[in-house]
Amino acid sequence: MSGRNHLAGEVRSLLRDAIEVYRDDVETAELLRRQLDRMDEPLRVAIAGKVKAGKSTLLNALVGEEIAPTDAGECTRVVIWYRHGHSPRVTLHPRHGSARQLPVNRVDGALRIDLDGIAPDAVERLSVDWPTQGLRDTTLIDTPGIASISGDVSAAATRFLAPEDEPSDADAVIYLMRHLHSADLGLLESFHDRGVARATPVNTIAVLSRADEVGVGRVDSLMSARRIAQRYRSDPRLRKLCQTVVPVAGLIAQTARTLRQDEFAALAALAAAPRDEIEAAMLSVDRFTRAGPDHARLLARFGLFGIRLATVLIRQGFDDPARLAAELVRRSGLDELRETLSVLFAERRDLLKARSALLALDTVLRECRNPEAAALLTAVERVLADAHEFAELRAIGVVRSGTVDMPADAKAEAERLLGGAGSTAWSRLALRPDATREEQHEAVVPVLARWQRWAESPMSSRAFVELARIVVRSCEGVVSRLRD
Amino acid sequence: MSGRTPIEVVDLALKAATAYDRDDLAVRLAQTRQRLLDPAVRVLVVGEFKQGKSHLVNALVNAPVCPVDDDVATAVPTVVRYAESPNVVLVGETAVRTEVPVEQLADYVSEAGNPGNRRGLRHAEVGIPRSVLAGGLCLVDTPGVGGLGSVHGATTMTALPSADAVLMVSDAAQEYTATELEFLRQAARVCPTVVCVLTKIDLYPDWRRIAERDLAHLAAADLSADLLPVSSVLRLHAVREGDQALNHESGFPLLLNHLRDRIVGRAAELATRSVVHDVRGVALQLTTAMGAELTALRDPDRAEDLLSRLRDAKRRADALRERSARWQQTLNDGVGDLISDVEYDLRDRMRKITRDAEAELDGIDPMLVEEQFVGWVLQRVAAAASANFVWTNQRARWLAGQVGDHFADDGGGVLPDLHAHDPAAPLSQTIPLEFGRPEAFGLGQKLIVGLRGGYGGTLMIGMLSTIGGLALLNPISVAAGVLLGRKVVKDERKRMLERRRSEAKLAVRRFVDDVGFQLGKESRDVLRELQRDLRDHFTGCAAELSRSLSESMKSAQRAVDSDRGERDKRIRDVRAELDRIAHLATAADALVDRVGTTR
Repeated sequence: MSGRNHLAGEVRSLLRDAIEVYRDDVETAELLRRQLDRMDEPLRVAIAGKVKAGKSTLLNALVGEEIAPTDAGECTRVVIWYRHGHSPRVTLHPRHGSARQLPVNRVDGALRIDLDGIAPDAVERLSVDWPTQGLRDTTLIDTPGIASISGDVSAAATRFLAPEDEPSDADAVIYLMRHLHSADLGLLESFHDRGVARATPVNTIAVLSRADEVGVGRVDSLMSARRIAQRYRSDPRLRKLCQTVVPVAGLIAQTARTLRQDEFAALAALAAAPRDEIEAAMLSVDRFTRAGPDHARLLARFGLFGIRLATVLIRQGFDDPARLAAELVRRSGLDELRETLSVLFAERRDLLKARSALLALDTVLRECRNPEAAALLTAVERVLADAHEFAELRAIGVVRSGTVDMPADAKAEAERLLGGAGSTAWSRLALRPDATREEQHEAVVPVLARWQRWAESPMSSRAFVELARIVVRSCEGVVSRLRD
Repeated sequence: MSGRTPIEVVDLALKAATAYDRDDLAVRLAQTRQRLLDPAVRVLVVGEFKQGKSHLVNALVNAPVCPVDDDVATAVPTVVRYAESPNVVLVGETAVRTEVPVEQLADYVSEAGNPGNRRGLRHAEVGIPRSVLAGGLCLVDTPGVGGLGSVHGATTMTALPSADAVLMVSDAAQEYTATELEFLRQAARVCPTVVCVLTKIDLYPDWRRIAERDLAHLAAADLSADLLPVSSVLRLHAVREGDQALNHESGFPLLLNHLRDRIVGRAAELATRSVVHDVRGVALQLTTAMGAELTALRDPDRAEDLLSRLRDAKRRADALRERSARWQQTLNDGVGDLISDVEYDLRDRMRKITRDAEAELDGIDPMLVEEQFVGWVLQRVAAAASANFVWTNQRARWLAGQVGDHFADDGGGVLPDLHAHDPAAPLSQTIPLEFGRPEAFGLGQKLIVGLRGGYGGTLMIGMLSTIGGLALLNPISVAAGVLLGRKVVKDERKRMLERRRSEAKLAVRRFVDDVGFQLGKESRDVLRELQRDLRDHFTGCAAELSRSLSESMKSAQRAVDSDRGERDKRIRDVRAELDRIAHLATAADALVDRVGTTR
């Protein structure tokens, strides 16, 4: 996609110009240089949510290793960055002073983080370098929960995700919630006002986490969770703030991705035992724990729901560890989340990066006045206004906010054509991935004609005309790419 | 132990009062009897949404009364209480009661059947024949706090002061959040008994640690509440299977005991104490006359002295009925002060909302964020209203206590023993303080529904009309653009935005004004009613006193006038009658002893 590389190139050269302008201001120049470096780094995705929403668990599930420490009580107290590295390394960045190394301490595979006597509020962030495939393309950032009883822990998360006066460090956000609480909406809105999302929902995905607990542990819990996610997805208040809502059973996903042979054996034994006996034991966690010596550990890893689901699956014939793990991952909703992440974040990586960089540059230029800055500011504004990619993002935001009067079926189509479900030609046209050029061409022509008609119709409202023009341009882009 | 029930003791006293022609005392006792017969103990089940409140209520009464769902379920408060046969009554916004078939309840109270309480119900009442409810226990399932569009929180808050106890429900998935703790703190301020219930312990292996942490949070917040871990699933299963061990594991026996002993028991104890207090008062008043007669009969020479003391006491009792009596002044001044304070508080809160809203409007385009903005204003107003209400309630209770004390102080000389008898039951406890109860869900709910309908409408319409204006302007602005260039259009747009803002501001101001006016009127009415009730209550007491004293004077006079032979016979008669009344007092005392031992 040449357009996008073109955009990235333009942003880079703007950044270089700005560094030149601020060459005397060491601090600002350094900040800008970091932005320039960031353009080449993996996408930074922050995982945010209320306390105990399951942020660290989901992070582990995404990485496929138990690196983030998890606990029944409130656990993550500082912002932790998980990056790909060649050897395990933990670095502490204090709010004041220079960074220092912390010992890498693993218990049962999971990292034990010991702040070495430093108070959590004195820590700006920890960064963990870890040699794992799961972090190669994305840097994941674990944040402390909001609505925590210790207010300073919550404050750390808010400071990171929605800073008052500086560019945000994250490119995109996965927002976790158990149920949509008004506090969730509040935080999402604050991203929207000044944080990472800055006036477009395009880089925020909401996850209905702990989906296995929705139906208090019944085997059909995940179905219920799906239904609830569907409802949230169509809630206009949420649509304005995030792209989509995906249900994920984080604990099961995490455990399935790290399933061990002995655990499988224990589950298989449970599945083979007489039904009545097992059902009686699985009435409550206390009963289950009493029923066997290794049960407490199984519970901690799977949860009651996970054990129920796994035994049902084994009985259904998923009788080797690999197949069981794959099925558990599928059922947990993790596959769907990864798919969503790849379509909505990874494919747009350059665009999101460019956007973060431009927003950062914009903030810097406005704050540090400089005679030469004015010209650069105009250039930034021009890129933000002219680049069709940004126009698309804004248009998606407009469609989702529901402020434009338009035919109901046109809404979904507009969003798709603008790249809301993925920026490839086939996903814009709602075709299968293996659709041929001819099929794509056949699909795009009538769509283009229809939107052109809307764009030129005197009956359309002004806002709709503007939107239709952008959609037409997106369709034209598809056509021209088909021709190449 | 004689083993009389409180109601029997009241009946006994009632008979005595009638026998001695004291219809004024009989009226008071009839009221006591009425209160005793309808011992509703309201227990509010509150908490954030999806914590298992409805399921808990269902498990407590072992019947699927409240709809339970994986998604947000409860939309309307549901009162579950005892009835001979199952029935469901819906209480509408204007307190209209409609009976509906039991199986249709879910259509009215669940989020699925009645989303966001679109039908505008105040609450639903479910009656079922269950022994656990027979003691007057009344469970109120409330919609969860903290959800989207949640003005529920404010409604729940206004219902709190009228509750005898609050069950704060939170599941074992996590320790208390800041919002939950804040809610607990507020609840503890207005409700005498708060019990924390930790639900879903069948599902979370670490529930013991969560319980520990919750207790630590409670201790740190200086809240004294018990924490009871339970599992509704296990309870229902245990009842179905008749499994004792499982029942025990579910934690419900403990919760039920707690409800019975600490909450229903405590309410019953309070009721008994008030019975004892009333019966003793009646006995004392009846004795006064006879006591005076007896003294005069025994020692006619000093009768004049006694008569002058009685005259003096009567003068003081009569003075209590005057408007210039100290308690009357306390009451009148207190209510006056309270009304102006409450109004000031309300106006202050509303002004702050208006100011914040205007500041907010300066930064946004009302057309784009209309819905959130309206929601935000509604929520702020609802919260302010409930805070004001809770505060009014606290102050009113305090005032009632104060008036009672002053009455007792002034009247203390008249019948010295009236209150010293039972220090555990200060007068204020026996005042029928019904403040807020008839309105239970009324005040908050009515307002909020009203806001949504009428006032929310005004705000929306104000904004809608500006949108309409814009649409009209569109072709014109396009033409203008062509003719006059871009600048004019830009200016025009800016002007339109300014206009939208100022219209929205006006709408907010008008709306907040209207709410303030309405609320002010409501609380003034409630306080005036309280004033009337208290005045009537104490004036009645003073009248009783005065009558007792004039009877005493009459009897003493009669004793002085009678001759010797008559006198001995009369002494015997009066002694016998005094014995009978003493017996009544003993029966009342026996009630107290029993209360004392069951504690």
